[in-house]
Formats: sequence, structure tokens, C-alpha cells
Amino acid sequence: MNRSDALIEIDGIRKSFGTFEVLKGISLNVSKGEAVCIIGPSGSGKSTILRCINGLIPINEGFIRVGNHRVHEMRSEKAMRPLRHQVAMVFQQYNLFPHRTALENIMMAPIQVLGHDKAEVEDRARKLLAKVRLSEKADSYPGQLSGGQQQRVAIARALAMQPDIILFDEVTAALDPETVKEVLFTIRQLVEEGLTCVLVTHEMKFAREVSHRVCFTDRGMIVESAPPAEFFDNPQDPRTREFLGQVL
Amino acid sequence: MTYENKKRAVLLLIALAVVAWIAVDAAAGGAQYWARVWLRLPLLLTGSGSGWPITGGFILNILLSIASMAVATALGTVMGLATLAKSPIIRLPSFFIMNFLRNSPWLVLLFAMLYILPFEMKVFGLVIPFPPFVKAVIGLALPTAANFSEVIRGAVQSIHSGQWEASRSLGYTQMQIYRYVILPQAFRRMIPGWMNLYALLMIATALATVTGIQDVLTILNTSLAMESDRVIVYFYLTILFLFFAYCYPIAIFARRLENAVKGDNL
Ligand SMILES: Nc1ncnc2c1ncn2[C@@H]1O[C@H](COP(=O)(O)OP(=O)(O)OP(=O)(O)O)[C@@H](O)[C@H]1O
Ligand SMILES: [Mg+2]
Repeated sequence: MNRSDALIEIDGIRKSFGTFEVLKGISLNVSKGEAVCIIGPSGSGKSTILRCINGLIPINEGFIRVGNHRVHEMRSEKAMRPLRHQVAMVFQQYNLFPHRTALENIMMAPIQVLGHDKAEVEDRARKLLAKVRLSEKADSYPGQLSGGQQQRVAIARALAMQPDIILFDEVTAALDPETVKEVLFTIRQLVEEGLTCVLVTHEMKFAREVSHRVCFTDRGMIVESAPPAEFFDNPQDPRTREFLGQVL
Repeated sequence: MTYENKKRAVLLLIALAVVAWIAVDAAAGGAQYWARVWLRLPLLLTGSGSGWPITGGFILNILLSIASMAVATALGTVMGLATLAKSPIIRLPSFFIMNFLRNSPWLVLLFAMLYILPFEMKVFGLVIPFPPFVKAVIGLALPTAANFSEVIRGAVQSIHSGQWEASRSLGYTQMQIYRYVILPQAFRRMIPGWMNLYALLMIATALATVTGIQDVLTILNTSLAMESDRVIVYFYLTILFLFFAYCYPIAIFARRLENAVKGDNL
């Protein structure tokens, strides 16, 4: 792939917490409209990769570009703002704001951060709630919603920022099997609409059906990266084979 | 029997024992002392024998506690946020001041105010007097503020780190995160601690007698000094009961709120 075509360009990033090196030289390019799944054992650094992409944690070494933003050079939260506008993130623990209703959760950031017009944002928020099929829950507080409903509100909240990229960090890991389906349905829709997505997931079937490329991480390295059919049917690296043998 | 019911039964027994003791004592001649207390009760409550105007007494203790709490809340909020600041130039001094105040005996602080604060202060030709009441307010507000700042710090830090991460990923700045996400949630968790602190402060207002204000204790020690030794005991019991009757419901209510808030720490 041509380097400059990529929407996200990551080159040789390293990250340590104290003396423990979590990322040992990760390189990854994601082009516009692509859905990339990252899978790998627990603690291999998957969440850390996502947090580096939108600058939630600073890296020690390497190069990250997202669109026009050179993330590794940004130092202040304020400088990160345009980046955060372009890259939204959805978390395993939903992290909705418990003191606000579902609708308010979606509307807050576009109004308070982007300064968009309130009426226009409310219109957008209601459309997004309809899209994640939760229109009737607009006035419920997060505590009154099921896990799957909360996660769909969180996705709507991310979408309300009108991002070019969404990072999903194991968004179904805290859900029970029935509700997983609702959330995956929503994500699949987004991928089909051409939104660029980077997904950390343990749902192998979903990764296979939805993603354009699957990356396998182990101990801070990307061990293997391939289109899903190839990745799952004919894994090259012995560590990938071992992992897939355990989970499939 | 559940633990709650046992506790209730024991409390009821204690209350009954106290009532029984008072009744027995009254029958054995205590009634005349209680009558004396009843006669002087308006003085204890308001500082004037007829009950009006209010010049001191227990009501002054209440006013003192409210004024101190107002000052302490404002000061404690600033101090609490300062101890959470990222910049060490703000954080370290406020941390030091807070710990110093938190670990000072309240009585010593009150005495210190007597001598540190001048009788009056001139600012741009404006004369600001420092009557004993103001000194008492400041002396009580300082340690309360330090304790309240600790309540704020605890509440802010009890907010799940995911809230920070989510707000940052939405592009909020540090200040905005406090304003829109953290403080609105922290305030609800602070209320029980704030009320507990108020009950403590109310109890501590008795210490303010050293500043010479006409609080309930000063009145007892001056206006009622000529009462007999025996009757003074009944006056002291009455004062204890007044404080208890005012503070205990607050503490109970705070505990209720605490349990209610615990339930929704999503
Ligand atoms: N803030 C932090 N401070 C110290 N160590 C951290 C921090 N965040 C992550 N780590 C460590 O970095 C390693 C990788 O963490 P990361 O969350 O990226 O793993 P992961 O692949 O997402 O795992 P999981 O599948 O369990 O979510 C782990 O060993 C973790 O303990
Ligand atoms: Mg993770």
C-alpha cells in the first residue's frame, strides 16, 4: 500500500510503562474505509495501540500520523483537539456519563467541545439514537440501560462527533451473548457505510466476516497481518496458529 | 433478628433507661432543678432572659456553625481543587497547608486567631473590624475547610478513571472535564461527608467560648454562675441534650444519603 494513501500511519512505535516495554515496535497502516481487527492474547498491548492512535497515552519512540495530524509530536491536550474530533473511541466499560441521560450523553461533546448549534445537535443525536435502535431510551439514564444498550449509546456518542475513524476496544467483552449481537450489528452497519474502523475484539467470527484485515499481536509485536480468509484458514506464524487453536 | 433490628433495640433500651433515670431522679427531688432549667431556658437559647432579642446562646452557636460552614465550603473547594492540580507549584503548598490545618487542634487554632487577627484592619482607608464572632468564624472555618478539601479530593478521586479517558477521547480539556463530568458526579458523593463535617463543626462551636462570644457555654459560665452547684449539673445536661438533638438527626440523614449514593456508583 502506498504510504501516503493511509489514513492512519503507524511506524515503529515503542511504549513502556516504567521498565516494562508494552509495545516493541508496532507498524500498521490503515487506509480510508478499511476495517482492521486486532486480535491477540490478553496483555499483548492491543488497548495500548488504540490509546496511542488518539493520543490518550504518549509514546516513547516512533511515528504516528492520523490524517494531517502528527500525533507523536503533539504535547498538549489542546493541540489534540482536532485529532480527537477526527478519531472517536468506544470502550469496553462503555464509560457513559452516569449523571446525564442517553440523549444528553450524545449531545454533550458536540455542543461543549465542537461548539455546534444545539438544535442541530439534538436532531443529529435523535437520528443516531434511531440508528442504534434506541429512540425510546432517549431520556433514560445509563444506570437504567442494559449493557448492550449502554454500549450502543456509547457508539452513538462517538458518532455524534462526526469522526473519520472509530476505535473500538473490546466493546463486546463485558456483554452477555444475546446483547453482543445487537452491538455487532451496529458496528457492521458502520463498516458497510465505509467508516474507517480499528477494532480490538475477541469475536473471531465477527472479525472474519466484517474486517478487511486482521492483525495478530503478541508480546508487544504485530506477529501477523493478513486478510481474514487467509489469516484464519492459513495462518503463517506458529504463535498465531497456537492462539487460533485455543480460541476457535 | 437482623443486625439492624438488634441495633435499633439496643438504642431503644438506652433511650428508655435515660428516660427512666430522669423520671426516678425527678421524683427524688430533681424536679425542682429541672423547673429552674426550664425557667432559664430562654436565656440559654437566645442569650436574653425573655427570649428576645437574640444576643447569643445556643442560637448563636447555630449561626456560628452556619457562617463557618459557608466560609469552609468556599475555602475547602478551592483548597481541594488546588491539591488536585497538575502543577506542583500549586499542588504542593496547598497540600502542605491542608495537612497542617487538618492536624491542628481546633482549640489551638481558635486561640491563635485571637492573637493573630488584629482588632480591626485598615484596607484602603476602609476599616474592617474583627469582632470575636468573626474570629470564631475564621478559627472554626480553617480546619473545617481543610477537612472538606479532603472530602472533595476523595470524591473526585473516587470517580472511575474511565470517565477521564472517555472525556479526553471526546476532546474535552482538563478544566472542561472537571466542570462537565467530574464535579457534577463528585458533588453527589460529597454531600454525606459535607453533612458529617457540619455536625462535627456544630459540636466544635462550643470551643468558641474562648473567643468571648456569648455562646451557650459562655452564658452558662457567666450569667448562670450564681446558680447552685447542683443545678449547674442539670444545665450542663440540658446543653448536651441540645447539641445531641441538633446534630444527631444530621448525622443520621448523612448516613442515609451515603447509603443511597453508594448504590449508584456506576
Ligand atoms: N497505565 C498503565 N500502567 C502500567 N502498565 C500498564 C498500563 N496500561 C497497560 N499496562 C500494561 O500493559 C500491558 C498491555 O496492556 P493492554 O491493556 O494494552 O493489553 P490488552 O492487549 O488490551 O489486554 P486485554 O485483552 O486484557 O485488554 C499489560 O501488561 C498491562 O498490565
Ligand atoms: Mg485491552
